[in-house]
Amino acid sequence: MPKIPLFYGLLILLLSLSVSFPAAAADKENCLMCHKYRQLGRIDEKGRKISYFVSENIYNKTVHRNVPCRDCHTYITKLPHDPVTEEVNCSNECHIKPPFSQENFSHKKIVEAYNKSVHGIKSDDPPDVKQAKPYCKYCHQNPLFMKVDEKYIAGKTLLRCLNCHEREGVTKAYTHITHRLGHKTSRSPQEVVQLCSKNCHENVEMMKKFKVSKNTLEAVETYNESIHGKAVALGSEEAADCLSCHATHLIHDVQKKDDPESTINPKNLIRTCKQCHTKVNKHFIQIDVHSNVEKNLLLHMINIGLTFALYGTFIGLVGLMLFETYGRKKDGIKWMLKKGTTWRGLSRRIPKD
Amino acid sequence: MSTFSEKINTFVKEIVTDTDTGTGTGAADRAEVEGVGTVPRDIYKSVKSDPLGDLPRYSIHIVIQHLITIITFVILAATGLPLHFSHVFWAPSVISLFGGPDSARMIHRAAACLMVLGGVYHLLTIILGTLIKTRTGKFDIKKTQIPRLKDLHDLMHDIKYFMGREPYRPKMEKFMYKQKLHYLAILWGNFVLITAGSMLLFPETASKILPAPSLFQNLARLMHADEAIMAVIIVVFWHWFNVHLAPGRFPLQWTFITGKITREHQIEEHFMEYLNNLKEIPEEREYMKNLLREKGLSSKGGGQ
Repeated sequence: MPKIPLFYGLLILLLSLSVSFPAAAADKENCLMCHKYRQLGRIDEKGRKISYFVSENIYNKTVHRNVPCRDCHTYITKLPHDPVTEEVNCSNECHIKPPFSQENFSHKKIVEAYNKSVHGIKSDDPPDVKQAKPYCKYCHQNPLFMKVDEKYIAGKTLLRCLNCHEREGVTKAYTHITHRLGHKTSRSPQEVVQLCSKNCHENVEMMKKFKVSKNTLEAVETYNESIHGKAVALGSEEAADCLSCHATHLIHDVQKKDDPESTINPKNLIRTCKQCHTKVNKHFIQIDVHSNVEKNLLLHMINIGLTFALYGTFIGLVGLMLFETYGRKKDGIKWMLKKGTTWRGLSRRIPKD
Repeated sequence: MSTFSEKINTFVKEIVTDTDTGTGTGAADRAEVEGVGTVPRDIYKSVKSDPLGDLPRYSIHIVIQHLITIITFVILAATGLPLHFSHVFWAPSVISLFGGPDSARMIHRAAACLMVLGGVYHLLTIILGTLIKTRTGKFDIKKTQIPRLKDLHDLMHDIKYFMGREPYRPKMEKFMYKQKLHYLAILWGNFVLITAGSMLLFPETASKILPAPSLFQNLARLMHADEAIMAVIIVVFWHWFNVHLAPGRFPLQWTFITGKITREHQIEEHFMEYLNNLKEIPEEREYMKNLLREKGLSSKGGGQ
């Protein structure tokens, strides 16, 4: 055995420690053998660069870190595989068994609810509508929506679990479950509003493609003007965001108002509002949530009147202020301090005989 | 002892009549006061004044009510306006002073309750005070905030004065036309803000009581915001200016803490009230007598 100097020995030890180990559990079939190379990719017919690089560091931190590649990319049956033409299907079953369950894990229920919802692609949709509708990745890989803040309900409760359970696994499982308990979604109201508005519901031209009602077209604007929208914009955690009213706890089942299943169908409004307004009654649900004063002529006139009164008062008061200041200065009152108060000088008035 | 209807008649007469009754003569440039002599209208230009105030104006109750109003008004405006102007740059930093919108709305409600209590306290003071004064026969409608025809004339007179067309300020009572207008504005503003605010706080009950829940809720939203902005504008551009910033009042009137008004101010803007004080306060009578003698004015008048 050749003698290695101590220095090199330490160097080798340090280097081997600094190398990160591949995701051995998920990548049993060693897909990363090829996909770990940064330069792996091609230039397609339109000249776009497409990268096939998979960063194991990033992948190991995602929610899918324990899912083997071929559970989603099911069309791959041989190695080296054929060019990929299919999208992944999020309703696939994967080879992961959730705790206390015999069935393989799947997003099937969510996808079913989503497809039924107003956002799902319907068979009779025109092609440009099909194109414009959002799909799983549109929201879930949206940079606005990427990182979940893993807050859990009570750190002290977790400490009690750790008395018996191992730290690593149980902490992850606990935070995974409890960060969903605070709200209807694991996202903050601000994120939900931003995601629904930006590039989609805010974009009136695009929304016109879907032949939606006038109320829907101006929904973002009217929401931002409402008390819910204003409170959420300032960082409220309690005020209603889009999903609070427009979806049940399935979250993906947003429906049109006239659908009997819809949370905003007049028949279901009491149940929907009751989530926050506990004393809700049948008169309360008539109150506008996305209110627009210009829709009602009387309110519109009152609004104009109030605005005029406001500006009128402002201009009138400033005018009177200036007028009286002028009069008082003429009286010889100085706008300066002397012994802690303003003082009188010589009046510039012309004395009347 | 006059009957109730006679009393009402005299009140109405006092509201619609517009004469300088009670001054001895109706002359604009002076007033005869028994035991003092002739007090020239513009004597305020030569009196001595303590900036903290010389003569009584507000009771301790009014001072406390005003302090309650200042504190709650600032809190209400600071927690309410950022919500209305939520997309303006200063809104997030102002609301964060109160721990975000979720705690700010609780603070807003607490402050509103306190302000309403202050209002109730004020009404009680006014009503009980009036009752006591009526019993002892000291009630004088001219000393109240009730608008009279004279106030309109005073306003015209004052405009003429500041334009240089009248030689003297009008002879005004304890509350001048500006203050009466301001008081009425506060009454109306409080009524609107409390009503609309309660409708926003209890939308379930409001929608049950009132017809057309949608219309009235939208109306409440409009009115509450508009009246609040109006209140802030009036306080900043009217109240602060007239009371603290106008030349002659700058930098501050201490009346809101001491309850006392300076002699100069009272003679200038509340001449009739000063004449009442001359009658009621012997020290003030003595001061004025000496001042007139010093100025060589005492011989002019009659009453010694």
